[in-house]
Amino acid sequence: MTDATAARLDSTAFAGSPLLADYRYPAAGYDEMYAASGELRPHWRPLIQTLDELGGEELENRHAEVQRLLQIDGVTYNTYDDPRGSPHLWMVDPIPLLMTGEEWSSLAGGLEQRARLINALLADLYGPRLSIRRGWLPPELIYAHPGFLPACHRSLPDGCRWLTFYGVDLARGPDGVMRVYGDRSQSPSGAGYTLENRIILARALPMLYRDAPLRRLATFLETERTTLAGMARHNPDNPHVVLLTPGPNSPVYFEHAYLANYLSLSLVEGEDLVVRDGRVWLKTLGGLRPVDVILRRVIDTFCDPLELRGDSLLGVPGLLQAVRGGHVAIANALGSSIIENPGLAVFLPQLCQQLLGEDLRLPSLHTWWCGNPSERSHVLAHLDTLVVRSILPGGTYWEGTLLDKASRARLIERIQAAPHLFVAQEPPPLSTAPVLDNGRLVPRPVMLRGFAVAEGEGYRVMPGGLARISSGLDTLQAALQKGGISKDWWVLAPTPQRHVSLLRQSYGPIMATRDGSDLPSRVADNLFWLGRYSERLDGTARLLREACGRLLEWEQDNTDERCLDDLLEALDIAVPPVAESPRARFFTLRQELLNLIIDTEAPGGLPQLFSGLLRTGRTVRSHLGDDSWRLLNRLQQRILEPPSGLGARQARDLLEDQSILLAAFCGLNNETMPHHQGWMFFDIGRYLERVLRTLDLFKLAFITARNPGLPLWEVVLTITDNMTAYRRRYRSALHPTAIIDLLLFDEGNPRAVGYQLYRLQRNIGRLQRPSSSPYRSAEERLILEALTILRLADIEALATLSNDSTRSSAELTRLLDALQVPLLKLSDALTHSHFSHAEVPRQLITM
Amino acid sequence: MKYAITHHTAYTYSSGVALCHNEARLLPRETPWQQCGLSQVIIQPRPALSAERIDFFGNRVLYFAVQDIHQRLEVSVATRVQVLDNRPFAPDSPSPPWEQARQQLHEDSDADMIEARQFVLNSPFVASAAAFRDYASTSFSPERPLLEAMADLNRRINQEFTYDPHFTTVATPLHEVLKERRGVCQDFAHLAIACLRSLGLAARYVSGYLETLPPPGQPRLVGADASHAWLAIYVPGAGWAEYDPTNNCMPGEQHITLAWGRDYADVAPLKGVMTGGGSHTLEVSVDVEPQEARATPPDATAAATAATIAAEATAATAATPP
Repeated sequence: MTDATAARLDSTAFAGSPLLADYRYPAAGYDEMYAASGELRPHWRPLIQTLDELGGEELENRHAEVQRLLQIDGVTYNTYDDPRGSPHLWMVDPIPLLMTGEEWSSLAGGLEQRARLINALLADLYGPRLSIRRGWLPPELIYAHPGFLPACHRSLPDGCRWLTFYGVDLARGPDGVMRVYGDRSQSPSGAGYTLENRIILARALPMLYRDAPLRRLATFLETERTTLAGMARHNPDNPHVVLLTPGPNSPVYFEHAYLANYLSLSLVEGEDLVVRDGRVWLKTLGGLRPVDVILRRVIDTFCDPLELRGDSLLGVPGLLQAVRGGHVAIANALGSSIIENPGLAVFLPQLCQQLLGEDLRLPSLHTWWCGNPSERSHVLAHLDTLVVRSILPGGTYWEGTLLDKASRARLIERIQAAPHLFVAQEPPPLSTAPVLDNGRLVPRPVMLRGFAVAEGEGYRVMPGGLARISSGLDTLQAALQKGGISKDWWVLAPTPQRHVSLLRQSYGPIMATRDGSDLPSRVADNLFWLGRYSERLDGTARLLREACGRLLEWEQDNTDERCLDDLLEALDIAVPPVAESPRARFFTLRQELLNLIIDTEAPGGLPQLFSGLLRTGRTVRSHLGDDSWRLLNRLQQRILEPPSGLGARQARDLLEDQSILLAAFCGLNNETMPHHQGWMFFDIGRYLERVLRTLDLFKLAFITARNPGLPLWEVVLTITDNMTAYRRRYRSALHPTAIIDLLLFDEGNPRAVGYQLYRLQRNIGRLQRPSSSPYRSAEERLILEALTILRLADIEALATLSNDSTRSSAELTRLLDALQVPLLKLSDALTHSHFSHAEVPRQLITM
Repeated sequence: MKYAITHHTAYTYSSGVALCHNEARLLPRETPWQQCGLSQVIIQPRPALSAERIDFFGNRVLYFAVQDIHQRLEVSVATRVQVLDNRPFAPDSPSPPWEQARQQLHEDSDADMIEARQFVLNSPFVASAAAFRDYASTSFSPERPLLEAMADLNRRINQEFTYDPHFTTVATPLHEVLKERRGVCQDFAHLAIACLRSLGLAARYVSGYLETLPPPGQPRLVGADASHAWLAIYVPGAGWAEYDPTNNCMPGEQHITLAWGRDYADVAPLKGVMTGGGSHTLEVSVDVEPQEARATPPDATAAATAATIAAEATAATAATPP
């Protein structure tokens, strides 16, 4: 660093602080912590003092703790480009960004005004359009932008609010002025992450947060909830508010689930909703339940395949008509994405005058709109120093300084072909703020994401928000896709503030509900599959564990090799020719087994099964306890990030570990989830999968075995973990008839088919049915059939299995086949009765 | 001329539809040259809900939802319309040189002119491109009056393109229409609009019907007519002038206007989203019946072409309008 740009080190009491020893910020820039005089800004001093007392090493420990807490809470940000689809961990820097209460008050005033302005602009654009007709806004800027949705024209009654939630990206330039880099009017993300950052940091750094004089966030979220509830046109006393998410593939799905939980909203996807009789309904197990308010996290163009994008699978056909009818309120209103158009920045000062009669208080980053000929010439003449942006959604930009001759020419050609689609900006260097790096604080450029929510006639601004390390070019979404780091943004208060959590408070009267009939059908479907996947994963892991064990024993002693073949068969692994040398054969087999354990591409392997489990789990995140969720995160580490250089022995240990974690997951669900409708679907899924696998195992051991006999019987007992039960009960050598009694007929043994069928029957009988028919449902009849077949089986005929009796063997085959028939139909029957109204609508070919 | 128009659409599904939401733009709009009587709309099965509104472009839209399980949906609209012979432009109407018109369109701050500028921009089915500009430039020679150049473009599309209902569908890209020189009325209207927009001029899509005359000596066939489409070009300060490239004419008393928009996507006569249904078949029939005796025979060329078109379109189950 040269003298010119290098910094002035503080000469005050903090000069000797080892934390600050490397803090060198550009002399020409603005640093949030150091004033231009080279002194620490007064409002930072108490914080630095506390940090100094902790010391760099301890701060690093706490930072690791923060990341660990984020990991176990499953705080993630999904990226589309990750082949494994596993989400990125949310990264948080432990050093907060401080802002004085005075500065914030003035900033909040500016944000509040901008929110009112945007609301007024939306009302105008989808109403009289005076801003276009009177020339305050060029028509091309609005009509060429895909966010302007003609279908939304006059879709809200006069006087209705268009903007409920407002998000804004801010940064400070070298002159110390805060400027708006982007207005977010669609469904601004980040409030949930902000809250989670605050909660996690307060846990990891209690001495910093406990009595800190900082403004708390809970009241802001309380306003979000009151405002949403207040939008309901029906049921004002107990409105049904849902959060509409695109689903677990959304980059910010974590936040959707988190906010739904925190604000007590139903988390729903488009296919959970239906429009009938002009109203919006949630499809639940108990039938249709009316929806009064939608907190929308789906891009508006995707919200109604009838009137907006016809190819959308995320929306609800007829939604816009339900809005017009005034039967459902949506926040933010459909059509609001037109505001996320960087070209509007040029016209906001004039629009503020015309629409509000006020001066715009908070400026935007200086922007040139190429649709205006004189601004276009300026842009083309200064291309080298500017950043050119497309006004279209997606945030595409070109940095003038980085363009080579050819790409520069191409860009100019594009601008000239459709100048109204481009703007240019000259982003100044952003202010810097301290970030923890190797036990020291270092300056990094920061941006802020602020939030406002409608309250009464105006807006309430969140005291704080999300700070992030940024160059100022990327949008929040793009920055997170690249793995950005976020910070907690503090607004200081004159006195310490009490920490309030929304979760610990109750709001007015609440209707107690218990039966779970309002469970969305899709959630029930996913819980059912969560059960099936967890059992399928467990069954496969157990088979693999046995196979690894036999492989290891085989290394020493050849006797068990034959039973290994049958295990391989059960795992769908082609048995290598015997001609291979034993050593080569060992390595081939080991590789095959390892593939199933660690290869993310292996069909039916553990990583794929686990991905299915995780995917389903994430769609029902709000139905699982936090501890269950932490176990899933730990399983994810074990399965998707296994240690390298795994041998058969380590693989076996790893599998044992996995089985225990998985058992803990299922056990915790049993102990934590209320045993109502949701849990029953989970349990039915598990036991249906388990009974099918147990029947397969029997077929393998007693009917189709290439090498039948004792070793394979042993495998059956170890896979089902029933060896000790057998020994205790029989105290004898293994006998197939005894094994069959233990694992087929016993209705008290959870590993036995008898018990499994009994449990399925009990839970299926307790499922709520949409119709109140006095007759047994299809699934009740099927499970009754299976259980009856088992109970009426000719046990005598099976008694001579060990004597290679063809009669017994034929009888067992008949029994196992007969049991399979109704059980294989059961899954479809359940789908038809309980999940089928989750059918996806499609577009009629237009004529 | 007074007409009784019947537009009948029927979808038959291979399996039951549990729920469908639909939007119909089948109710003609009122214009200074078109007066609309009451429309009778019959929908089978009876919709649980229906509501009429005016859309962003001023068209009448009928929303309806059918909530009973059905395997066949029928929508029948009968309307009486009187079309007057007073459209604002005639073939010999004066107009400024097209470059001057373009400049005025882009620089004037008159509210109508500002609103017309949205029809210069790309829309779902029509995007400007050099190929369209090149095709148009033969007609739009320097300093040529706007409407004279437009009439020439209209004539060239009519003469250089083959009417072929089997070649295109709603989804056929416009570049292919230009390359193959084939299409139906919808393609020709889109093509002309693309040509005008590529020159920086404003043009909109008009959907409607055309009265067709039977070949001499034959009786009029009921239901043999079809939906039709043409375009309108904006003449700054004077309004919208309509052209029908399919018939190389300016629409007159025989052209009944349903709706207009940026392109077909804004004015699709019937669209819907349904749950269930499997595969489906579609039947469409249109009948444009004159309600008064004709004093003078209408333009023979236009009527004859339209009659051929209607017959062919019906043969092709009229999946797309001419």
